[in-house]
Amino acid sequence: MITFMLNGKEIQVEVPPHWTLLRLLREKLCLTGTKEGCGIGECGSCTVLLDGMPVNACLILAPKVEGRRVETIEGLGSRESLHPLQKSFMDHGAIQCGFCTPGILMSSKALLEKNSQPNREEIKEAISGHLCRCTGYHQIIEAIEALKE
Amino acid sequence: MNMRQVGIEIPKVDVLEKALGEAKYGADLPCQEPLHLKVLRSPTSHAKIVRMQMEKALRVSGVERIFTAKDIPGKNLVGTIVKDQPILASDRVRYIGDAVALIAARTEEAAEEAAQKVVVVYEDLPSIIHPEEALHPHAPLIHEKGNLLLEFHVIKGDVQKGFKEAEVVVEETYTTTWVDHAYLEPDAGISYLDEKGRITIVCPTQNVHYDQKEVASVLSLPLDQVRIIQCSTGGGFGGRLDVTIQCLLALAAFHLKQPVRIVYSREEVFQVTSKRHPLTIRYKSGAKKDGKLIAIEVDILGDTGAYASYGGTVAIRSAVHATGPYQVPNVKVRSRMAYTNNSWSGAMRGFGVPQMAFAHESQMDLLAQALKMDPIEIRLKNCLRVGSETATGQTLTASVGIGETLKKVKEWRDKLSLLKDDSKKPFIKKGVGIGSMWYGIGNTGIANPSTAQMEIDPDGEIRLFTGVADIGQGSDTVLLQIASEAIGVSLDEIRLIRADTAVTTDAGATSASRQTYISGNAILDAIKNLKHSAIQEASQLLNIDENDLFFENGKVKSRTCLTTSIPLREIAKRCAKILKGEGSFDPETTKLDPQTGQGVPYATYAFATHLAEVEVDTESGKVSVNRVIASHDVGKAIHPQNVIGQIMGGVAMGTGFALMEEYVPGEKTSFVNYLIPTSKDVPEVIPIVVEDKEPTGPFGAKGVGEPALIPSAPAILNAIAEAIGQRIYDLPANLERVLGAVQKRKLA
Ligand code: FES
Ligand code: FES
Repeated sequence: MITFMLNGKEIQVEVPPHWTLLRLLREKLCLTGTKEGCGIGECGSCTVLLDGMPVNACLILAPKVEGRRVETIEGLGSRESLHPLQKSFMDHGAIQCGFCTPGILMSSKALLEKNSQPNREEIKEAISGHLCRCTGYHQIIEAIEALKE
Repeated sequence: MNMRQVGIEIPKVDVLEKALGEAKYGADLPCQEPLHLKVLRSPTSHAKIVRMQMEKALRVSGVERIFTAKDIPGKNLVGTIVKDQPILASDRVRYIGDAVALIAARTEEAAEEAAQKVVVVYEDLPSIIHPEEALHPHAPLIHEKGNLLLEFHVIKGDVQKGFKEAEVVVEETYTTTWVDHAYLEPDAGISYLDEKGRITIVCPTQNVHYDQKEVASVLSLPLDQVRIIQCSTGGGFGGRLDVTIQCLLALAAFHLKQPVRIVYSREEVFQVTSKRHPLTIRYKSGAKKDGKLIAIEVDILGDTGAYASYGGTVAIRSAVHATGPYQVPNVKVRSRMAYTNNSWSGAMRGFGVPQMAFAHESQMDLLAQALKMDPIEIRLKNCLRVGSETATGQTLTASVGIGETLKKVKEWRDKLSLLKDDSKKPFIKKGVGIGSMWYGIGNTGIANPSTAQMEIDPDGEIRLFTGVADIGQGSDTVLLQIASEAIGVSLDEIRLIRADTAVTTDAGATSASRQTYISGNAILDAIKNLKHSAIQEASQLLNIDENDLFFENGKVKSRTCLTTSIPLREIAKRCAKILKGEGSFDPETTKLDPQTGQGVPYATYAFATHLAEVEVDTESGKVSVNRVIASHDVGKAIHPQNVIGQIMGGVAMGTGFALMEEYVPGEKTSFVNYLIPTSKDVPEVIPIVVEDKEPTGPFGAKGVGEPALIPSAPAILNAIAEAIGQRIYDLPANLERVLGAVQKRKLA
C-alpha cells in the first residue's frame, strides 16, 4: 500500500513493487491520459510531474512516489476550466495526432513555473526529451512562447 | 466567392479531448477483462518451420489458447494489392519478425512467459539480402511466383537521340535506406463481439474499410459480420495502411468469443511494421547548353523485403515521378521491385517520391554546376507549366504552381546571399541548397473513389458521414469546413460520424495526400444531392416550381419572390423525414499503358520547393540545418494552420530522412539507436503557401501531407554539397558519410 498526492488529492493504493508509476496510473487508476510511447525513457510521452519536476513515469517504480506529489494531464485542466497551456496548444495548432501532447504539456507547465519568461532556446531545451513525429515542434514552441508573461 | 468556413483559423475539432488527455488511443480503450495477446515471431530471416511444440507453453498458468496458422478459417494471406503475407506463418518464415503463433492469456506476464516456452524448430533456408541477388536467375525463391514483384516502364520520345543532342550529360547512382514511420503511438487495440454478434475491432488505422475486407477474408466471414472502428490514432504516415494488429485481434476474438487486447512494444513496432523502401537509382540526365533538359534515363531497383505490401505502387509511382517537376521530351525509366528476406517495406509518406526527388534534384544541381548556371534558374527553365506534357503524356491544364514556388524561394535566396558571411570557425562550412518536387494526388492510374453522405433529420440535426480516418493531420476538421461552407451552416451545427464500417461507407485510404481532394469532393457531391432533394421538398411544401427555387446559406429561396425563403431544418421538420444526399467522387485518370507507362495517372498534382541553409562541421561531420524556406502550391489552403502544421512536420521528417534515419533489418531497434529529430534538431522553417487553385478541387484545394516532406532531403543534400564541395549520393548523410565526403574532397 502506498500513499501519495495525485492531482491534488491524497490517495492510497495497493501496487506490486515492480510496477512502474506509468503502469499504476494507466492500469490501476485508469488515468490513460499519460501515454507509453517507448517504455524505456526515450520518448517523453509518459511525462508526469513529481514534486513539480517532469519525470518519465515509465522509469519510476511506483513505490518511489510514496509521500510525494504527482501531477498528470488529468489534473492539468478541465473542460470547464482549461489550463492556459491547453488552450494555447489548441489555438496554435500544436496538436496533430496528440499522442505526445499530454507529456509535452506537463513539461511545459514545469518550465513556466520555474521560468515565466523562457526564450526559444529554453523552450526547445525543456521539450527536447519529447519526441513528436507530427508537428516538427514549431507550433508547440509557439504555443508555449505565447504564454510568456 | 466570399467564404466563411474555408481558409480560416479555427482549432481542430478533435483537439480539446486530446489536450485534456481524454482521447482514447489503442492502448487506452476500455475493455471488460480482456485476454492479452502476444505474438511469437521468427528469429531467423528465412527458414522452414519443421515443427512447433506448445505443451509447455500451454501449461503456463493463465494461458487460454495458442493459435497457429491452422486456426485461420479463411484465407491466410493479406496485402493491399498482392496478397502474399500470412497472418501466422504456416510452413515458412521470410523475415526476422514473421508471426508464427498467437498466445492469448489472462495476464500480459503469462502471455510473455508462454511465448518463451513455445518450441519452434526451424530449418534455415538461404537468405537473400540484396535485391540484385534476388533477381539473379538462380536465386532461391522467396515466393513461388519469383522474386520480381513488379517491373514498370515509362517511355517517351527517343532517349538515344536525346542524349546525342545533349551538350552536357551527368550520370550518378543514388541509394536510400529503410526508414521507419516512428509514429508515436505503438499499435494497440481491442476486439470483441458487439451487440449484434459482429467481430468488432477498435484500433488505430488509416483505412477502416480496407481492414474490414482483410479481416473478413481471413475469418471467412461476410463483410457485414466484421466491424472496424478507428480510435484516436497516434500518427500513421503510411505505416497504418497495411493491417498490423487487426487480423490477430479478430482471430482471437472469433475463436474465444470474449474480448481481447493487444499492445505492441516499441521494439515490436520497429521490427514488424512496414518501412520506407530502399531504392537504388541510376540516373542519367542530358541537357542543352542553355540548361534545357533533353533526355533522362533512369533505372530504379527497390527492395520490398519479404512481402509485397505497397511495393508495386512504389515502383510505379517512382517511375512516374522520375523526371521531377520538369518537362523532359525524351524519357526512359525502368523500375523494378524485388523480394528479399529483409523487413518488408510498404507505404511511407511519399511512396517512393522522396527517394526519387533526392536523385532528380541532385542531378539538377550537377547539371547546373556543369553549365555554370544558377540552381534556381535551371529549374525555372525546365519546370512544368500549364500546357506542359509530362513523361506519361499527360497535358497539364491548370494549377501548376511549381514556377511560383521557385520564384518565392528565389526572392528569399537573393536576400540571403547578401547576408552570407564567413564564419570565424574555418572548419564550419555553410551552404544553401534547393529541392523541388511534384506529387500526384491520389492513387496512380487506378480507380480511387470516395463516398460520403450528408443528411438532416426532422429534429434538425445535420449529419456528415464519412469513412475517412483522421490520423492527426486534421481531415475531420477540413471535411467539416468543406461541408459547412457548401451547405451554409456553421461548423459546430454539423455532427460528424466517421471511420466506423458499421455506419459509414468506403472513403478509401488516408494516403497519397488524397482525402481533402477526393473525399472533400465526395462531400460536395453529397451536399449537391442534399440540396436537390431539399429543393424538391420545398417545392411541394411551398407550392412553387422547382426551377424557381435555389439554395443559399442553408436556406431554399425563390428567385422571383425575394421574401420567400425556408431554412433546411424547417424543410426537414415540415416534411417529417430525413433529407439525405449521397455523394461520391473518383478523380479522372486513365490506366497507364503497361509497356510505356503512358496515360493520365492523376487528376492533379501538388508542387513544392524548399531551400535549406546548412552548416557542416567538417571536423565532426555534424550537419546543422539552420533554416528551411518551404514553398508549397496546395491549390487552396482550407485550413491554413493545418497546412503549415503539415509543412513543419514534413520538414522535420525530411530532415531525419536526410541526416539520421536508418533502420537495419533484424537488429534490435528502439529510440535509443533509431534517432528521429527532436526540438533541437529541427531547423527554423518559413512556410510559404502558394494557392494556384485546382479547378476540380474542393474550393480549389489539392493536398499537402506528403509534399511537405519530399523536397527537404534534396534541399539539405544540395546544401551540404555546396558547403563542402563534395556531393553525397547515399542517404542518410550521417556523420561517417559527411566525414567521408570531406576526406574525399581533401584528396581531390
Ligand atoms: S514511454 Fe516513458 S519515455 Fe517513452
Ligand atoms: S502530435 Fe503526433 S507525435 Fe506529436
